[in-house]
Amino acid sequence: MNRKLHIKIFRYNPLDPDSTPHMQSFHINEYDSMTLFIALNQIRDEMDPSLKFDFCCRAGICGSCGMVINGRPGLACHTQTRDLPAEITLHPLPVFKLLGDLSVDTGTWFRDAGTKIEAWVHGNDAAFDPAAEEVRMENALAEEIFELDRCIECGCCIAACGTARMREDFLGAASIVRIARFAMDPRDLRSDDDYYDVIGNDQGVFGCMGLLGCQDVCPKHIPLQDQLGIMRRMLVLNSVKGILPRAVINSLKHKGCCHEKH
Amino acid sequence: MNLSTITLHVPEQSKIAGRLDFVMMVSGALLILFLWAHLLLVSSVVLSPVIMNALAHFFEATYMAQVGGPAIFVVMLIHFILAARKMPFEQGQWKAFVAHSRMMRHKDTTLWLVQVVSAIIILVLASAHVFTVLSDLPITAAKSAARIQNGSWLPIYLVLLPMAEMHVGIGFYRIGIKYGLISSARRAWYQRAEVIMMAGFITIGLITLARFKWLSI
Repeated sequence: MNRKLHIKIFRYNPLDPDSTPHMQSFHINEYDSMTLFIALNQIRDEMDPSLKFDFCCRAGICGSCGMVINGRPGLACHTQTRDLPAEITLHPLPVFKLLGDLSVDTGTWFRDAGTKIEAWVHGNDAAFDPAAEEVRMENALAEEIFELDRCIECGCCIAACGTARMREDFLGAASIVRIARFAMDPRDLRSDDDYYDVIGNDQGVFGCMGLLGCQDVCPKHIPLQDQLGIMRRMLVLNSVKGILPRAVINSLKHKGCCHEKH
Repeated sequence: MNLSTITLHVPEQSKIAGRLDFVMMVSGALLILFLWAHLLLVSSVVLSPVIMNALAHFFEATYMAQVGGPAIFVVMLIHFILAARKMPFEQGQWKAFVAHSRMMRHKDTTLWLVQVVSAIIILVLASAHVFTVLSDLPITAAKSAARIQNGSWLPIYLVLLPMAEMHVGIGFYRIGIKYGLISSARRAWYQRAEVIMMAGFITIGLITLARFKWLSI
């Protein structure tokens, strides 16, 4: 151990007209269990206080420290320097608005996507009785929903997506899998047609080209590949209603092909 | 379309995106099956030109070549038009994707570029191939061998064969991924299978071309 790390960092302040994009090198001593997050803090504390990068929880929960690490999007706090070569190159996540150096604005992007797909439980507000006992859910189902709800919106899946790089209106794996989560939730009263209306287009599930950059970089290991497949099948079946015989569609729907309301 | 949606201020609800995706997948799957079958049938010349001639005669006697050939060509055109909706024809998109591919050094991302480039090459070369073969029926081993030995078709086939086999091999894997038929647990296995199948079909194709090259006419 105790390597000398050469960390090359993208530097640019879009608000400063005199700033030009360039790479800046820093050299620090590695120590056991050092994460990239620790290394960046050390650089900022000891070498350059103007270095911009985001962090909050340092535990892979807040999703702030997403960046491109040697070409692959990932979380700085989740990345141990011992898993990287001695020369480390850091870039800000593409797709998102650059705030400066390694800091990008993922919040605006995710809020916009969340608004487009209506990422909230659509219940029957008129029938809501605040005094009534909350409806119970089977634990297995709750866990299934939670599995997809673990997304921390770090933006790595979007930055790793070739389609999102080419087309800025593509909603990305995070948004499609968010709809998968609602499709399983019995409290969300939307129908398959309603889900189709928000992601059944080339900005949503049909824009996905199956490159699986998202699956391969997700720091939370959310099963994006399998969920994207389920949502595509589900919405393609929805689109051919009235073309394929109803018996065929119904038999496919109930064979693990689609998410079903419980 | 009706009068209320003519200005698109209130977009019409439509299932067209899903249907187009479905047709793209089905046309792709049909072309994969066709190409594999085509290659295996033509490779029968390796066993004997008599077998190939008999098979060709069967497909012409049943009008499968005369009707099926142009039909396959139409399916190929439909598949190209549907898939081309995703292609980075705008220079900015192409630049973004190439930069992305270089940044990620990610196999599945790079393979998509192979699909885009091979698609254009196949469109041109396969069109010429289909026209040449179907405008000179019946298909016989001797005529195929003459094209290879006398004309300029050998270099064309040496390009078309690997391009087509790579395209359908990657496409086969990609359909499985996109429709969730290949689970994340089985992905590595299918990636290996895809490479083995591509290599296998290209080898069969090369052996077939060699047979045509040295077949006495």
